[in-house]
Amino acid sequence: MYIIYNAFQNIGRNISRNILLASIVFAIIATTLVALMITNTSNRIIDEYKGQFGIEVTIERNTQTFVDMRQRGEASMGITITNEQYIAFADSNLLQRSVIMNGTLVYSETVTAIGQTGELTTGHGYAIAPTMQLQGNNWDDFKNGHRVLLPGGVMPSRINESIISEGLAELNGISVGDTIRLYGVVMEQAAAMGFVPAVYNLVITGIYFCVAESVSTWGSTTLIRQNEILTVAETMPGAQVIARYYLYHPSDLEAFEQELRVKGLHPIFDVNTDEHLYNAIVGPVEGMRGIVMTFMVVVFILGAIILILLSSIAIRERKYEIGVLRAMGMKKAKVALGLWFEMVIITAFCLIIGIFAGSLAAQPISNRLLVQQAENVQNIQDNLFVGRDLGSFSRVVNDDPIIEIPVSLGIYTLLQLILISLFLASLAAFAAISKITKYEPIKILMERN
Amino acid sequence: MMSKLSLNNVAYKYEGTKKNVLKGVSATFEAGKIYAIVGKSGSGKSTLLSLIAGLDICTSGKILHDGEDLKTIDRDVYRAKKIGVIFQSFNLITNATAVQNIILSMNISGSPENDKKQFTYDLLQRIGIDRETAARKILKLSGGEQQRVGIARALSHNPNIIIADEPTGNLDTETEDDILKILTILAHDEGKCVIIVTHSKKVSSIADEIWGMKDGKITRV
Repeated sequence: MYIIYNAFQNIGRNISRNILLASIVFAIIATTLVALMITNTSNRIIDEYKGQFGIEVTIERNTQTFVDMRQRGEASMGITITNEQYIAFADSNLLQRSVIMNGTLVYSETVTAIGQTGELTTGHGYAIAPTMQLQGNNWDDFKNGHRVLLPGGVMPSRINESIISEGLAELNGISVGDTIRLYGVVMEQAAAMGFVPAVYNLVITGIYFCVAESVSTWGSTTLIRQNEILTVAETMPGAQVIARYYLYHPSDLEAFEQELRVKGLHPIFDVNTDEHLYNAIVGPVEGMRGIVMTFMVVVFILGAIILILLSSIAIRERKYEIGVLRAMGMKKAKVALGLWFEMVIITAFCLIIGIFAGSLAAQPISNRLLVQQAENVQNIQDNLFVGRDLGSFSRVVNDDPIIEIPVSLGIYTLLQLILISLFLASLAAFAAISKITKYEPIKILMERN
Repeated sequence: MMSKLSLNNVAYKYEGTKKNVLKGVSATFEAGKIYAIVGKSGSGKSTLLSLIAGLDICTSGKILHDGEDLKTIDRDVYRAKKIGVIFQSFNLITNATAVQNIILSMNISGSPENDKKQFTYDLLQRIGIDRETAARKILKLSGGEQQRVGIARALSHNPNIIIADEPTGNLDTETEDDILKILTILAHDEGKCVIIVTHSKKVSSIADEIWGMKDGKITRV
């Protein structure tokens, strides 16, 4: 007990030297706290992002690979991904979630699509060019708020129930409870051979509002989000399945691709992720985390070196005092413990001040760094709206890059800081202890005398 | 009378040197007596004192305290509890007060005193340091006051052996007389073994036995 008491007294007795030591410890602690707060909050936000969105996988035909393989006689024109394969691909532990949908391009004689000018026409090889899309099980937009069902309607739950956009409803005077007739597309050649289009008689159970608009209405009207008529997948049993797979992390892509190859995915298909999107949204946070961590490590290493040097120099000044204590019979271990206590007390004091200062500084520093990082990924952000080819579903990703994170001091961060501080105190004390334990008291006293 | 300290054929040489500073020193120091060790500078007096004080160990021979060899016992405990050393240069913690120095010594020795502060004030008063002086830092005290504090510290844990290295070397005559009086009381009235290393004839005059040191050897004068 007297060692702690003596340590307190020693701090007061050597106040100038201890203020110098405390300044360095404070700087390290405050910097470390800011870094830890930002890092831990960033980790949490990234985890939340992953938990909320996942990393979407895209499976796309690689034309060059196809041509090369065809020349070698390894690929034929009819290679595709079957509906069964799409469904089988979804069965993977690497996936955070998957969405299995289906869809088909449609036109109607009674419902005019938004952006449609004039009568129905032929084109792109179709007997009658499609004007809209009929999509099955595409409910994600309602979960993430990109579409909202207007009051008075209900979501489709049975075959032949559907909802349409507010724009489409207004343009055609359609209300909840009305029935619309849509036709599936047939290619010209098929029509000539007598194929007739599939007919969908759909009861309107609700009208939705598009929160996220299409980027442009240029091109086919099927790309306009308001021309998407949503129903349950069972309404179109033979329609092309469209699957969305969401990995937990981009690094799982290779393993997932291997799984797909085993399940029969042909080499002409490339498996990619929307990593650019992930980077655009989470990139600033990850970038900031990297900067902060690097800064923390540099400050910690430099600070620790300075602290060790300072501590070693300081203990040389106290050599005589140590000699006296040893001559009085104080054991080396107790001398060492006393020095350690001194450093721990100084560190504890710095910890309190450092927590206060670090907490105040963390948010502004984080904001500043994030804005800089967000600017760096601005170009990627420009490509956030991803239009799709005909026959696939349009998507809206309105998750802007994270430019502000609510940095907070949690128990975990506090514990980390305490451990780091304790390590720092022990490091400085050890530097001192390793010096003084080398000397025998008689040598110290003789040198002085 | 019980033998307190025995030196049997003690030799010592400093690390890295070949020459023995002490050569076959044998002596016995008993309780209740004052011993003066005299000799010229470099004769080995202070080295001998360091060995007796447990600050170093002899190269050969034995130093026995109550029959136990200092080489085999815990010398930290020996220094903390069994002996009190009064250094010529005081060796006090200079940025601490007189009271703090003495209480620290008591703490190190594991003194059972309940009220250490009061005990310290009483002890200091006994050797001529008042409360106001006791509360001052060592650096603010005169040489004589520092030496008195050094003596108080040596006595604070009630050791049976007091070792003093030129205890009056830096003091004026009046203070020297006071210190010698205290040492005499400690030996003759309180039964302690007092060993003084000195050049001073005045100091050696209070000794019951005088030992002379020359070229690392000791002889009774």
